[in-house]
Amino acid sequence: MGATQKYVVIDPATGKIDRRIFSDQAVYDAEMERIFGRAWLMIGHESLLPARDDFFHTYMGEDPVILTRDGTGRLHALLNMCRHRGNRVVRCDDGNANRFMCTYHGWTYKNDGSLDHVPGKSEAYYDALDRDSLGLVEARVETYAGIVFATWAKDAPGLEAYLGDARWYLDTVFNRRDGGMQALGPMKWLEPVNWKVMVDNCSDNYHVPTSHLSSARVQSKYLGRPRLSHKDQFESPNKHAFVNGHSITFRDADDNVPRYVHGVSSETFQLFQDYHEATMPEVERRLGTLRARRVQLGNHSVFPNGVLGLRLALPRGPRQTEFWHFVLVDRDAPEAIKRVIRVGSQANNGAAGMFEQDDVDNWRQVTAASASRHARRYPQDLSMGLGHAGPHPEYPGLVSERYISENNQRLFYQRWEEFMNAESWADIPLDPIKARFDGTATMRG
Amino acid sequence: MKKKPTRPRARRAARPAVRPPALAPPQALWLELMSFYIREAWLLDERKLTEWLALFTDDVLYFMPRRKNVPRRESHRELTPLGDLAILEEDKRYLEMRVARLDTGMAWAEDPPSRTRHLVGNLEVTPLARGEAQARTAFLVYRSHLETDHQLLSGYREDVLRRVNGEWKIARRTIVLDANVLLDKNLSVFL
Repeated sequence: MGATQKYVVIDPATGKIDRRIFSDQAVYDAEMERIFGRAWLMIGHESLLPARDDFFHTYMGEDPVILTRDGTGRLHALLNMCRHRGNRVVRCDDGNANRFMCTYHGWTYKNDGSLDHVPGKSEAYYDALDRDSLGLVEARVETYAGIVFATWAKDAPGLEAYLGDARWYLDTVFNRRDGGMQALGPMKWLEPVNWKVMVDNCSDNYHVPTSHLSSARVQSKYLGRPRLSHKDQFESPNKHAFVNGHSITFRDADDNVPRYVHGVSSETFQLFQDYHEATMPEVERRLGTLRARRVQLGNHSVFPNGVLGLRLALPRGPRQTEFWHFVLVDRDAPEAIKRVIRVGSQANNGAAGMFEQDDVDNWRQVTAASASRHARRYPQDLSMGLGHAGPHPEYPGLVSERYISENNQRLFYQRWEEFMNAESWADIPLDPIKARFDGTATMRG
Repeated sequence: MKKKPTRPRARRAARPAVRPPALAPPQALWLELMSFYIREAWLLDERKLTEWLALFTDDVLYFMPRRKNVPRRESHRELTPLGDLAILEEDKRYLEMRVARLDTGMAWAEDPPSRTRHLVGNLEVTPLARGEAQARTAFLVYRSHLETDHQLLSGYREDVLRRVNGEWKIARRTIVLDANVLLDKNLSVFL
């Protein structure tokens, strides 16, 4: 598949998708250019580098990136590549430094990316080196409620337009409190899966009562968490919404109870209920009544590679993905709440998480089936709920009638096609912001 | 029962006593705990997980911090402290849930189960106050799963052990893997 290849991988009428996109090297290479080279990518959180001169090492696709806060407090996303020969100038995961020295020849950069010092600038280079043009390559950076995004695309729209009405839902978790959120992590591990399989799974609640029944059953018995069955899922009032390229599922219930985040059990329920009620006036002021009381974000993915909040599927080749697991907690929540969420989260998600460990063999076999000679000829079937989604009077995006649906997944692959077939950002459609953002919360927090 | 011919007692008593020297208490403790860890390794490899769970106190903290790349001079930051996001931060009830989960027959990460081999050594024992002991061990754990998946997990454990009804139990276990990005697809075996 060459550069002028037109990617037609999903048939919207039948929901059949060409499974070769999960293993083909040429498709992967094009994805790195056309998706990871263009989209706004989640790369971190401001709380990971709170002080001036702090840095946090991260990735945009396969490209290593240093997220820095310079001496004036400004954020920079800098390609971790010395402009001389390409060695990394940072080898640590995080830290505090105002200069980064390449360990090869000693070229030294300030944490705003500028090239500050070159050994032998006169003696070896005859003062002919154009240092101004040899700063670390810098990406555009913007934040949403403390979550840091970056893009290489000079022609990309701003982050607010990129998130669009998806933010209407994302706000219900990430923009809930005046004090914002705090990121813990990441835990990192390598999975033998294609990155899209993890992302598409964010809207797949159909798998939960099968893949995760063992964990749900023991947690119901030991922790008093709600039981989980196909029937509950099929009858759930929760919804799927595909909004401006982003995959959202959300709880839709006017019962004034906290979201069933990790760690909520019969013992800790009151703790969460008290917190929910104590913070409700603030949340209502920030988000308006409908979003504060009724809409609660569930599993979701910010295009292209966000996986349930600030968790990243970092591509490492067509059949390998490095998974980064963070936990976000309200910064001003009581320590008891933070602890319960943290412990509940490690028990369920992450490399050792009871839920998450049962996903990977499914995903890797889906990936493997896209590579073997005969299996790859047969498309995947994503026909569930075809024709049963559309605009909703109250909720932004294309909303499915039922919670268990493959609407978001189909639209994710159509969004993938839009990026893959576009020659520039001018060809990538964006939905206008139409939702009513009641309350005081903004992009900045 | 056939009686074995024995030498007359009188003759034996007449010779100078040749018996192994009595173990000093630290050596005795070392041997006791080394056999404890060998037994634990067999329990894990033979999937006798209910018996394995009984080796822990009811108030156990089973903790695996993350391990970061930091400069040598900042080695104090290499392991994430308790309170930060850990790979594992489990109490007894969570450990029990993990074991109970495997018995449902639907814990797909371990059904069919992994084949493991826990090699535990380099034991160092430090007696603590109130009859507790601290024990450090190094481990190599080989895991083979399904057809060709395999992984060698290397690291160390630092345990605090306490005697409960005369038996050693682990009251706190800290597991430190020699890895930054874990190379395994998941961490579904116990260490």
